[in-house]
Amino acid sequence: MRRGGPIREGLVLLCLAFLPALGETIYWRNQMSWSHPPVQDEITVAQARSLGGSILWVDARPAEEFAAGHIPGALLLNAEQWDSLLPVMLNAWIPGQKIIVYCGKQSCGASREVARRLRDEANLANVFVLEGGWEAWEESKK
Amino acid sequence: MKTQIVNLIAFFVATSLTGIAQAELKWEQTQIELHPAPGDATAVGSFKYKNTGGAVVHFKSVTTSCGCTTAARKKDDVAPGETGEITATFKVGASTGTQQKTVRVETDDPASPVTILTLRAMIPQMLELRPSFVYWENSEPPKPKTILAKAAKELHANNLKVTSSSGEFVASVSSIGQNQFKIEVQPHDTSHPVSATLTVQPDSGGKPVYATARVVNPPSTQ
Repeated sequence: MRRGGPIREGLVLLCLAFLPALGETIYWRNQMSWSHPPVQDEITVAQARSLGGSILWVDARPAEEFAAGHIPGALLLNAEQWDSLLPVMLNAWIPGQKIIVYCGKQSCGASREVARRLRDEANLANVFVLEGGWEAWEESKK
Repeated sequence: MKTQIVNLIAFFVATSLTGIAQAELKWEQTQIELHPAPGDATAVGSFKYKNTGGAVVHFKSVTTSCGCTTAARKKDDVAPGETGEITATFKVGASTGTQQKTVRVETDDPASPVTILTLRAMIPQMLELRPSFVYWENSEPPKPKTILAKAAKELHANNLKVTSSSGEFVASVSSIGQNQFKIEVQPHDTSHPVSATLTVQPDSGGKPVYATARVVNPPSTQ
């Protein structure tokens, strides 16, 4: 056997091992579900619980999902009924209070949008988004 | 050695092809961004697909993330090679800004049983208030606070009318040019908690927008 043969064979095998992965990556390039990088305003259920009682929970889900169940004390605020619900939420808010917005699996972008509008339009600070949303809250009770 | 390498190539190629053969329903795109014109009642997006596999794909369910969005499909079964689309319709209503709605599609395709289709609609805001909330703590002097209003050119607004739901607040409007207005809001006093909804209406008509003014109790200290 020639010198360096096993190393060369090893490299060939390594290159071959990449072929299936490369093929699948090219084929699925438009359907990949990359996870989002962690965002600074996200807060976990455990972190939220450790903040104590001074939290205003905001439920960004549709009204029917809110009616079926929500975090105790949470107020409904979604884009569909923004004009009528926002004054209710603002009247419940206490200066300095932390606001945590959550949504559900089906409306996963809603909490981020509601949080953005509370910051940009209502000029509120300390607005967070609950990581994992309503499902994470429910899971934490088990 | 040559035989081993050929066998390995055959193995990897076969593995790759098996994976691809399972992928039957292929979507042209799973995210659509829409820019409806001011005043549009709905924003509609079509998600096109093709069955690239060798078996019929059956739609088990198609559900939307909220009651404001509907999703329609013309068929329940998609034959091999067949194309089609799912049409998602978002009712704009009073929504403004970026609206993101999702459609969950469940099929019997084992390679991809659930697909989430995302519809992003950028709803233009005809009249924008910044901020839409002003407040005074009840130890604070009752000085005026400013809300800036920016009107879209299409609104042709020369002035704004501001009305307060409570007589405890007064509001005045002045034009600062380039379709922008300054709204000054002031409480009569800050000795007790009170709140009001301010309705801001352009003189040229169109939908009103709302702001909230409030005198709040200071946070309790422990």
